[in-house]
Amino acid sequence: MSTKKHEFRVCVVIPAFNEAKVISNVIHNTIKDFKNTPYLVEVVVVNDSSKDDTATIAQSSGATVINQILNTGAGGATATGLSYAQQNNFDIACTMDADGQHDSKDVVKGVNQLIERNADLLIGSRLINKEGMSKVKIFGNKGLSSITYILFGVNSTDSQSGLRIFSKKAIGCLHWKTSGYEFCSEMLWRAKQENLLIGEYPIKAIYTEYSKGKGQNNWNAINIIKSLVKRRIAEMFE
Amino acid sequence: MRYIVLVILNIPVIILALFNILTQYKMHKVSKRRFQHQLILWLLILTMLMCSFPFYNHLIGNPLLDSAELSLFDIVQTTAIVMLFYGANSQRQKIDKAEKTIRDLHQELSIKLSVGKNEKH
Repeated sequence: MSTKKHEFRVCVVIPAFNEAKVISNVIHNTIKDFKNTPYLVEVVVVNDSSKDDTATIAQSSGATVINQILNTGAGGATATGLSYAQQNNFDIACTMDADGQHDSKDVVKGVNQLIERNADLLIGSRLINKEGMSKVKIFGNKGLSSITYILFGVNSTDSQSGLRIFSKKAIGCLHWKTSGYEFCSEMLWRAKQENLLIGEYPIKAIYTEYSKGKGQNNWNAINIIKSLVKRRIAEMFE
Repeated sequence: MRYIVLVILNIPVIILALFNILTQYKMHKVSKRRFQHQLILWLLILTMLMCSFPFYNHLIGNPLLDSAELSLFDIVQTTAIVMLFYGANSQRQKIDKAEKTIRDLHQELSIKLSVGKNEKH
């Protein structure tokens, strides 16, 4: 057992749906990259009712696995992970994609920056340094970031990024209502309503054939926009 | 006279809505922000109904927006819209609340059931 004194307890939440092929690598890399840091990390995989062996592989790779009873989508799975972090009194929580798109070193970098900048919510932006990103993806992400700004008044270069770092305050007060990918934009809106300090930092996205296949289709952006507009209008009457 | 009928028919619905939101706020069932939004919304509807007479008067004779006088059908239709709005608004709030309860229950169950399994491993 390690006797090293840890400054912060960090919960890395990985929402996963049918990611058996890559989840083990993602967990191993995350644990490895946090090893020589002053943080005590717990990797939590929220298995969103996968049909493959995601849960078994994640557990044997050293992660805590939360099996969602129902498939709720990325938003629902992320909310479950953050709820776990809140219940277990973690100081910092991070979310990252399960498809290997994010470099776990960027997660460590994000945690460092959150502490340094005293921020509440940090977004790992793939669009500050667009290297390796296809034009279609840049267009889709910029479009959704603009929609997020128009609807909610939150300016972010990459409103759809799955790599996010949360302070203890943010873990406790951020609650969103949508359960699909639109939660990314809604989360920023809720953070603004709660007067949280939102920041960004550059990250590098790793696009493999696998992650390209798993990523969001640009056509899904239409569904996301529809859902966000509906939510915005509905809350005008609340 | 018809404008007075329109206001009289709609005032009970608006008062009911105002009382509902006030009660919910006083019982801490809704946030201050939600209370303010609802209050502004229903007071706006009330003002619009109260001002319908001078507004119609202003429109009559205006070439672009010339409008006929309020008919009985207009009164029934406007009242129905306000009542439907009241109904839809309260139902939506109930659905939102139920949705939140189910979401929280699902989250809690998923965590509780999984934590037990993780401890066994």
